[in-house]
Amino acid sequence: MKSLIENRFGLLVLVLVALAALYGVASATRPAPAAGQVPGPRKVPVASVTTVCPAPDGAQVGVVTPPGGEATGTGATTVAAGEKVLGTVDAPGKPWYEEAPDKTGPVTVSATGSGAAGLESAQTRRETSGGQRGLAGIRCAEPAASTWLVGPGPAAADVTLHLANADLAPAIVEVLVYSGEGLVTGGTGDTLTLEPGRSRTVNLKDLAPSPLVVAVEVRTVSGRVTAAARAVMNGGRGVDWLPVAAPPATRVVVPGVPGGGGRRELLVASPAEVDTLVEVRALTPDGTYALKGRELVDVPAGSVAAVDLSTGIAGQPAALVLTSETPIVAGLVVTGTGKRPDVAFTAGAAPIDLGSVVADNRTGGKKSSRLLLAAPETAGKVSVQVLPRSGEAPEPFELSIAAARVKEVKLPGTDGAFAVVVQPLPGSGPVYGGRVMDEKLKDGLALTVQPLAAARMWALVPPVTESASVILP
Amino acid sequence: MSITDPDPRRPRHTVTAIVVSHDGARWLGETLGALLRQTRPVDRIVGADNGSRDGSATMLKDALGPNAVLTLPRSTGFGEAVAEVLARLEPVGGREWIWLLHDDCAPDAQALETLLRAADADPKAGVLGPKLRDWLDRRLLLEVGVTVDRTGRRDTGLEPREFDQGQYDGVRDVLSVSTAGMLIRRDVWDEVGGLDPFLPIFRDDLDLCWRVRAAGHRVQNVTRAVAWHAEAASRRRRRITVSGDHPRRLDRRNAIFVVLANLPFRPLLWALLRNVTGSSFRTFLFLLAKQPANALDEIVALGSILAHPIRLIRARRARAKGRRQHYAAIERLLTPPGAGYRRLADRIQGYLAGSGFVESAGRHHAGGSSAEDDGDELLTDDHGMMRRVLGNPGVLLFLALTLIALVAERGLVGGTRLGGGALVPVTGGSADLWTLYTEGYHQGGLGSDGWAPPYVAALAALSSVLLGKTWLAVSVLLLGCVPLAGLSAYAATRSMIPGRWTRVWLASSYALLPVATGAVAAGRLGTAVVFVLLPVYAALATAVLTAEHRRARRAAWALGLALAAGTAFAPLVYPLTLLLGALAALAFPRRGVAASVAIAFGVPVALLLPWLAEVAADPGRLLLEAGLHRPELVDPALPARSLLLLSPGGPGMPPLWVTGGLIAACLAALLMRRNRMVIAIGWGVALFGVLVAILVSRTPVASINGDTEAPAWPGVPLAFAATGMLVVAALTADRIVEFRAAGGLRRIAALLVAVVAFSTPLLAAGMWITTGVTGPISGNVRDVVPALAADAAGDGRRILLLRSEDHGGLTFTVLSGRTPVIGEADIPSPAGPRDLVGVAAAGLASGRGGDDARVLAAHGVRFVVVTSPVRPEVSRALDSQPALARMSLSRGLGVWRLTQPVATPPAPPGDPWRSRWLWVQGLLVLLVAVLAAPGSRAADREAVPQEPSETARELATR
Repeated sequence: MKSLIENRFGLLVLVLVALAALYGVASATRPAPAAGQVPGPRKVPVASVTTVCPAPDGAQVGVVTPPGGEATGTGATTVAAGEKVLGTVDAPGKPWYEEAPDKTGPVTVSATGSGAAGLESAQTRRETSGGQRGLAGIRCAEPAASTWLVGPGPAAADVTLHLANADLAPAIVEVLVYSGEGLVTGGTGDTLTLEPGRSRTVNLKDLAPSPLVVAVEVRTVSGRVTAAARAVMNGGRGVDWLPVAAPPATRVVVPGVPGGGGRRELLVASPAEVDTLVEVRALTPDGTYALKGRELVDVPAGSVAAVDLSTGIAGQPAALVLTSETPIVAGLVVTGTGKRPDVAFTAGAAPIDLGSVVADNRTGGKKSSRLLLAAPETAGKVSVQVLPRSGEAPEPFELSIAAARVKEVKLPGTDGAFAVVVQPLPGSGPVYGGRVMDEKLKDGLALTVQPLAAARMWALVPPVTESASVILP
Repeated sequence: MSITDPDPRRPRHTVTAIVVSHDGARWLGETLGALLRQTRPVDRIVGADNGSRDGSATMLKDALGPNAVLTLPRSTGFGEAVAEVLARLEPVGGREWIWLLHDDCAPDAQALETLLRAADADPKAGVLGPKLRDWLDRRLLLEVGVTVDRTGRRDTGLEPREFDQGQYDGVRDVLSVSTAGMLIRRDVWDEVGGLDPFLPIFRDDLDLCWRVRAAGHRVQNVTRAVAWHAEAASRRRRRITVSGDHPRRLDRRNAIFVVLANLPFRPLLWALLRNVTGSSFRTFLFLLAKQPANALDEIVALGSILAHPIRLIRARRARAKGRRQHYAAIERLLTPPGAGYRRLADRIQGYLAGSGFVESAGRHHAGGSSAEDDGDELLTDDHGMMRRVLGNPGVLLFLALTLIALVAERGLVGGTRLGGGALVPVTGGSADLWTLYTEGYHQGGLGSDGWAPPYVAALAALSSVLLGKTWLAVSVLLLGCVPLAGLSAYAATRSMIPGRWTRVWLASSYALLPVATGAVAAGRLGTAVVFVLLPVYAALATAVLTAEHRRARRAAWALGLALAAGTAFAPLVYPLTLLLGALAALAFPRRGVAASVAIAFGVPVALLLPWLAEVAADPGRLLLEAGLHRPELVDPALPARSLLLLSPGGPGMPPLWVTGGLIAACLAALLMRRNRMVIAIGWGVALFGVLVAILVSRTPVASINGDTEAPAWPGVPLAFAATGMLVVAALTADRIVEFRAAGGLRRIAALLVAVVAFSTPLLAAGMWITTGVTGPISGNVRDVVPALAADAAGDGRRILLLRSEDHGGLTFTVLSGRTPVIGEADIPSPAGPRDLVGVAAAGLASGRGGDDARVLAAHGVRFVVVTSPVRPEVSRALDSQPALARMSLSRGLGVWRLTQPVATPPAPPGDPWRSRWLWVQGLLVLLVAVLAAPGSRAADREAVPQEPSETARELATR
């Protein structure tokens, strides 16, 4: 060893050999760049849902929890108007219907455990005469921090805003009204406070008396509220509730445009600060096409534009796909036919990736209910199950929707009201849908439309890790 | 026996010389000869012998005649002897002067004549003194008048070992002159009462002159009159017999006494306060320096003054006359208050110049250490401070590296908050860190009773020194790691490597290694500290193995302390050095080396015990360091060439070829014939370091709470390897100089090697400056905890912080109402609550409803905060929770509050043993620090052997 060290080149050779060996070891142990194995989100049943039906007096309230949920413990569904319990629903799979007495305030439907996964409720009111003549239905909504409603303005209808706070915290609510001329400001009562458990109605005329068409954003500074709006058209031209529109996005799909005669008016609102051009495509059972003369809609910044599509769609059941540079919100006014027409509204909706439930449908006699399913991109495949109020539920049936087409499905005749569950099957593209319910009355068609909302059946739980690095940007 | 003066305006002078001898035969002959050879003959000469045993009395009698010599007992002091003589001498006519002479003080032949001429020039002069020079080295200045500061510190106003070049010449008004050669008017002597018998030795001259001044006379130093003085008593050339007390204690006591007795009342109070605090502080320092005898002297001297207030009052009463009205004149002559800072500056300057701490003022200069032989550093010794400091290549290197670092870190310095990479944002002050370190139960996060990492204590101590500013401490350690590492490498190699420019190369190459730039870019505080400490380890280890026994042992304690600090920041240091230390102990079978090595490696274990046990229980943590372990900060597949070129991967790396020159130079060093053994050892260390680096970079390590797993960062072992290589190369650098001198082909080769070697630091610096620090670290980190939540969560409630990751996952952490301080993230949190809260957080973010909020409330979480980017699906899901109320939401931040009542989980009672252990730990640190501190003997190793300690520097002249 000593001689090796004393030798002038011995040490150099030794070191070089050692370095070469180290290089070899390092190269041999170098791991292959591992592909990041990231666990995906887990699907878990929803454990608790609260919805509020805005004004069910004189209307039928339907509540249903679809069967087959992997329930997390037993739980009950309670339907209550304030302190008064109207009923409890025990078993999933059996819809519950009851006509609410007059002067009932907003009805809160709350469910936990097995009753929660997919809980859906709706209120439907049917009047054959009078100022409220027609079918008026609405899906009872969950409290939210922001709700968009698109429909006729106070100049065309009597529009009432129903706000309710079902939470334990007070909510400070701000109502923004966009009209055809831009954002309406300076109205009284723009901001109001709702204590827990309280509700309130606001006549839109008090906020903005003149617009013909409006887009209303009900948003909260703190807390959450449910917001719904009922429009009674001037001149007895029908009544209905405005469905909640999908929040502003650059691509909006408006499903559930019923076929048949009558006026179809598209309303597009842009809350952005720049003007935008919206491209409108229509999906029908026969194919997709850009609307002649209406393919591009100019929406000024912060305002609502109305386009008459009656001739463009030509009486076919349809869905509309809107694309724009800036986020937009869209809704559609459907007017029926007959001496005394009824009105119905649909709006931009989310795809039903996790399934969808419609709580209250009726068929038989002069009533009919139809599903309009649209697959704007790739072909869709869904299973549809009917849940009758009593008796054995029929076997679910499968449906496929061709890409860029709309499929209209008539729901089978069932005794009394029933619920329907639409579940996308594996391999299906995104599916949007709407449910159209109408009744041929003597003096004209009464109808209502409900865009299919994503069911509160499943929640996607993201993978979660604890890490102190969160405090760093 | 009188001289008639022809000039009637001048009074007739009569001079009586009194020579007091005490065992001074060595000098007495020359003194008497000089006295008798005066050009202005002395009128009367009287000798007084204080019981000499070496024949001084006989010499006096031979020279002056038996009647002119008074023999006194051995315990008589100088003052008493003079008083005895004067009692027997009746006054003569004219203006009578007394000339006091020590037996070891030989006046120049014209001294008396010059003094008297000065006395003629100023009739108010009551006391005159000659310029004193050293007896042996006759050019050295000893005194040109002496003054004192308010703590009794003697001040001659001279530099150490200052030569007399006439720089102080002239007749100078001074506060006091030495009794050696003092010419005093007899009437003045009688008026003030002569020398105080309470002060038989030390400061009696000062006291006398002060009283003379207070009486309205002048005290002058006449520099044209010269006397040579041996300072035999203060330099311990002879025994002091007037008092049984130790001279040091006596000197200190007298110093305080004289100042307190002569100051007017108001300055007295101030001086008293300063003396009490100053003496206590000095006692503490003496204890630290392991000089208990000095500490005792210091405190006893003060105590003996304070314990006898009557004595002091009596002395003050005796000096009351004229004290107040002449104080203004005296105050001007006292040492100005700023002198203390100047002295400190002198010391630091002396230390920087490499000559050790030098006491300049108050020292008996000729007796001080001569010839510190630290080679080239002293060559610049005679210049002014600026030149001396700036002439030192180490200082220049430090300044240059600081400049480079500042330019490279341009985006980091001066920001609002430093953080990013492995470094959590630096918030809070030293008090927060101390609290974190000492609290028994950590409320941060979800609560934990684990031990806070000890580096928190080190950082807290540094922050306390830096006025409680943690950000400053972290900035100094992390952002300053490059210049600090350069300085430590330069200073540490002083005894190892000859040649200043070699050391400059070594230090700059070391400081700019990729490890350093990588540590800065990724915010690796642990590696930065260890990087600065590594050269210190090398120097101390060398001292342990090679130095003389006492110094080796001291170095072992210091190494233990430094290792403990390094291990606290990056535990991997300990096993690395332990292995090398064990090998060294086997290879150097010297007496005491094994024990020293045991001390060096036992100290870290003792100091870090409970925490180290936790680390050892989870060996993966050995590879981690202070700060967060994040996969994005390491290269998961570090190429082999990168490891061999000392590049640890991750952010902040220069191109690989930058270090090529360094490796090439180190390989070339293998061809040199000298120092073969050291070169072999150095390369051994280097190869060992690289091997460990390979192993470390291939070992996946889970982070402290097991949330991520990534290979460890091989910075520390690569710094080890680099240290070995650099020492090898630097040791053979003197051959380059020889080659260059040889000329021809060798000269070209030498030049080539030098260029290659210097390419590494130059390229590294250039790259660093041009790219800057771009890494994840940032000087302006946003505070993630919104003020809204921080305010409302002030009562110990917690905040759940959520962030969406790119892959769709979610990360969370729980904070206790504020951004965590540094080190809080390094405390492992209990797995049970963590998992529960994790599931609840995921549930909330999914919007599934349920009792997730209740779980959070049970764990004391009051707020849910989503940091940027706030994904709409997450904010919508949180909005959909009835149990959460939104407080604010924007694109960058969302805050929700739990609507239900939130429990504050009670903190479990702290373990009483924990605080006891903390006390033990503190005492251990103090003990080790004292044992490691350089002792008095080390500082004075070159001093004159008769001077046993540096205490003599304070002793007054006799």
